[in-house]
Amino acid sequence: MHGRPRKAYKPEEEAASAAKAAKLRILQTQFMSNHHNKIYTKEAVDLSTKLLEINPEAYTAWNYRKLAVEDKLSRIESDPDLVKTILDEELSVVESALRQNFKSYGAWHHRKWVLSKGNSSVANEMRLLDKFQKLDSRNFHAWNYRRFVVELTNRSEQDELKYTDNMIGSDFSNYSAWHNRSVLLSNLLARKADGFLPNAKIPDEYELVHSAIFTDEDDQSGWFYHLWLLDQTVNVETPLLTSSWPSHGSRINLSAGCLNDSFSKLTTFCSESGSFPLILYFDQAVGGVSSATVTIDSELKGNEDLVWEPVSKKNSQMSSVWVAHLKYMSSEPCFRKEYEVKVRVGNSPGIVSSRGCNFSKSYEFIFTAHVHDTVQGSQEDIVSWTDGFDIWDAESKDLYSLVNLNRSNAQMDFKWRQEAIAEEIILFRKLSDSKIGKLTLARLLMAKAVISDDVVKGVDYNEILELYKDLMVLDSSHYQYYKDEHSVALLHKVTSSTDDLSRHLFRYRNMNNSVCLRLNNLSLSRIASVAKLLFVQMLDLSHNELHSTEGLEAMQLLSCLNLSHNKIRSFSALDSLRHLKQLRVLNVSHNHIGEHSVDTTRYLCSSPLSNSEWTQDEVGRKTPNLVTKYWDAYFVLRDLNLKQLDITGNAIARDEFSSFVLQVVPKLVWLNGKKLES
Amino acid sequence: MSETVVHGEAIEWSEEEEEDSDDSEEEYTSPSQPLSSANFDKDRHLVYLQMMYELLPYHYQSQEINRLTLAHFIICGLHFLGATDRVDKDEVANWVLSFQAFPSNRASLKKGEFYGFYGSRSSQFPIDENGDLTHNNSHLASTYCALAILKVTGHDLATIDSESLLLSMKNLQQDDGSFMPIHTGGETDLRFVYCAAAISEMLGDWSGMDKEKAKNYILNCQSYDGGFGLIPGSESHGGGTYCAIASLRLMGFIGVDLLSNDSSSSILDPSLLLNWSLQRQASDGGFQGRTNKQSDTCYAFWIGAVLKLIGGDAFIDKVALRQFLLSCQSKYGGFSKFPGALPDLYHSYYGYTAFSLLEEPELSPLCPELGLPLLTSLGICKGGGGNHQKS
Repeated sequence: MHGRPRKAYKPEEEAASAAKAAKLRILQTQFMSNHHNKIYTKEAVDLSTKLLEINPEAYTAWNYRKLAVEDKLSRIESDPDLVKTILDEELSVVESALRQNFKSYGAWHHRKWVLSKGNSSVANEMRLLDKFQKLDSRNFHAWNYRRFVVELTNRSEQDELKYTDNMIGSDFSNYSAWHNRSVLLSNLLARKADGFLPNAKIPDEYELVHSAIFTDEDDQSGWFYHLWLLDQTVNVETPLLTSSWPSHGSRINLSAGCLNDSFSKLTTFCSESGSFPLILYFDQAVGGVSSATVTIDSELKGNEDLVWEPVSKKNSQMSSVWVAHLKYMSSEPCFRKEYEVKVRVGNSPGIVSSRGCNFSKSYEFIFTAHVHDTVQGSQEDIVSWTDGFDIWDAESKDLYSLVNLNRSNAQMDFKWRQEAIAEEIILFRKLSDSKIGKLTLARLLMAKAVISDDVVKGVDYNEILELYKDLMVLDSSHYQYYKDEHSVALLHKVTSSTDDLSRHLFRYRNMNNSVCLRLNNLSLSRIASVAKLLFVQMLDLSHNELHSTEGLEAMQLLSCLNLSHNKIRSFSALDSLRHLKQLRVLNVSHNHIGEHSVDTTRYLCSSPLSNSEWTQDEVGRKTPNLVTKYWDAYFVLRDLNLKQLDITGNAIARDEFSSFVLQVVPKLVWLNGKKLES
Repeated sequence: MSETVVHGEAIEWSEEEEEDSDDSEEEYTSPSQPLSSANFDKDRHLVYLQMMYELLPYHYQSQEINRLTLAHFIICGLHFLGATDRVDKDEVANWVLSFQAFPSNRASLKKGEFYGFYGSRSSQFPIDENGDLTHNNSHLASTYCALAILKVTGHDLATIDSESLLLSMKNLQQDDGSFMPIHTGGETDLRFVYCAAAISEMLGDWSGMDKEKAKNYILNCQSYDGGFGLIPGSESHGGGTYCAIASLRLMGFIGVDLLSNDSSSSILDPSLLLNWSLQRQASDGGFQGRTNKQSDTCYAFWIGAVLKLIGGDAFIDKVALRQFLLSCQSKYGGFSKFPGALPDLYHSYYGYTAFSLLEEPELSPLCPELGLPLLTSLGICKGGGGNHQKS
């Protein structure tokens, strides 16, 4: 047997062993002959019993017994007592085989086969299981068999839940018991069984898990269950609409060119295309957003059959961000300049999460679109990012509506969730000396922030930030994880109130006083809180530690982006920018692009293998060698409509690459700060 | 191969044995605990495998039925060590071929039986006077092992009757997409879905299974924590997760870029899977098969290969894993399940595959989805053995 030490054998033992082998060989030959000749007499069957007692792995013998049982059953017609006797005999053979080897797949299967005949006492099975599971509490055969038996009987999930109580009570490090508990509880909560409303049950579960994690802080099982509980507390299965652009009650200005200063820059969108993006941001990936499930009611012409696109990878029909382009200029002369637009999300069923949950209930929001004719020349000057920024000093109610997310459609009872988390926070504040204690407290505090339905006072972002800072020092092997979580918390903080957000808003003088959100020099390693930043058109993320632009794809209005002085190591790390059809100015200078052949900081990156269509397009045909060499840059840049690009200070930025960029982005006006000859 | 009846331990996923504390004889402390060495000790492993090739110790007695599986560990293990020349490849191939089950005629293919390979002589029945096979016990796992050995010994798989093998394999697939290992009945779970997929791949022919159904079964086995259980609803398990991911890869449902796909566009949840898999690397550097269990040599392969297949192997702490594996390297050659225990064939083989995954220069490269050495001339080596590549 496994893990057991070997001893030297004495001669008499060796002789005994040889005799045993000889006996086994004879037994086996006899058994085979019986099986071959379909002999199912008592003696023959007893022989297979002997064989299985010695070696439960002999599956041929198990199958022989099945044939023998079928044979016997066919002779006795329907005498229930006799049937039971025959089947009980099988159960006892399995039992002794399992004593030999707990993990014999064949033996467990034989038992299932017997039980499916439906003539055996299930109570007996439960008793036997209790015995076995006491001896080997993590045996997954036993757990699987237990679930099988429970399903066969009317044994309630409540009773099974009590069983996990006992198992956990006797050994709280038994994760199999915790796992079974999570499965049972999910079912009970989902069907709202008597006494299993989440608001009552989840707090009890916290109590239970406390006894485990505070008895032995180093044991993982309880912590995993605690994390699962936290997830049950925070996440609502029903998809919700988190935010939109334009937001409810807002008034937006639309124009083909630049507008003068008299209009709020926060809500002005200029585009030559005569359309503007309508963005829906859900709390989880959903599918089925279409002109049938989202209806638009307005006098803006030509928007009857809107095309909704998921902002995610090609071919995916699931995304948390969806966008449609609304036309606001038609060939007909317009008589009105102001249009009210009513958007009804979930008008008919069809918006479904990846887990198959339907969108909560239909939700309506209204905004006003003010269409301007005034057209000034479009912007052609270089965007420098170094100067020309003035502090944002305007109070704006527009801003207030931006930082308030759509919670009006959240019919979920958040109260018990908030209370449960508040209690956990109190407890863990007292006990946050260990790494896992600090991490749990930080997660709880973030959870509190996420499920607060209003801009709450009392979310202590500074406390979260301090905890992650401590963890970076205490546990350096997971530094990057803590760093990322720190960034997420910081961005939540920055976007948590109008005061906080406006501190990062600036006017950019050189571009008609456009609003620029400057989140530079914050040592951010990850992007978050994008749901609140959908309005942003100019974004400065320079001097951070970003290694990817993941998350920015939702910012469909973005036209100028500064990513200089970050830790971007490849163009595929910029993949999400391909969704930004308005992006004209991109600065990725002073990063690490081209230094490494493989970007090991990210696992989410495309590969040349997933893109092969390039062989058909023009640049691909003209310069296949360069496309092969710079494939990651090629796939990103060719989908953008850039006018300015800055790539200086990267290993890749050599002459060959620059000339390649010009081929891929023919409309480019400025490259690396120099105006190109047209 | 020796025909001595042998005795040993479970071939399938190893689980910790419950220590029998009543038995004081088991309280044995080795006078010289196998010392963990600083390097992969190829020579000792060679000695070990050759020893096992000559004669299996009595511990393997109860594994008689899995004879082909044990042979697979030895022959493919030798290939990893670049030493298949230590055995007579033709003899080995002929021995393996002697386990194949044949239908008496085409019509019997439709009777619901499976015609693959027997696990051993003890499950092999002679054909009766009518030319019929009364008790056909050929098994999916033995068939996988048989084909693996044949490939490694350079036998031309085109010469075996793959048509009846595959045609009859269809009989084993259940309505829910899972596979039975043997037509007379048996437990159905992910292990046999994997065997069917690997067999189809090795034979280069997918007519023996309904891939779409198999895929749906696999996806039903993904648990909320990201790993896969062997059957739907069960606790996530390293072996189950390997079978799921390797099968999906073999069937072409996931590519090398699984992680690069948006999680919402993928048929499964890759980032959750990545999380679960990475969390199986324990603080001693080894991988555990399930949450909060002891590290075990074989999961370095089962989970390591999953990470390799989804493109997440860069995140393994390879130095720590190597150290753990070396602590399980036996002074007799081979690997044990836990540090300091005695070696066995199962853990030795998955120790070799794990070291190959870690790109140990002394080992042939690995084909992670098949769990076999990477043979560039996949299967078809004309003219018998001896001419396949070494890395």
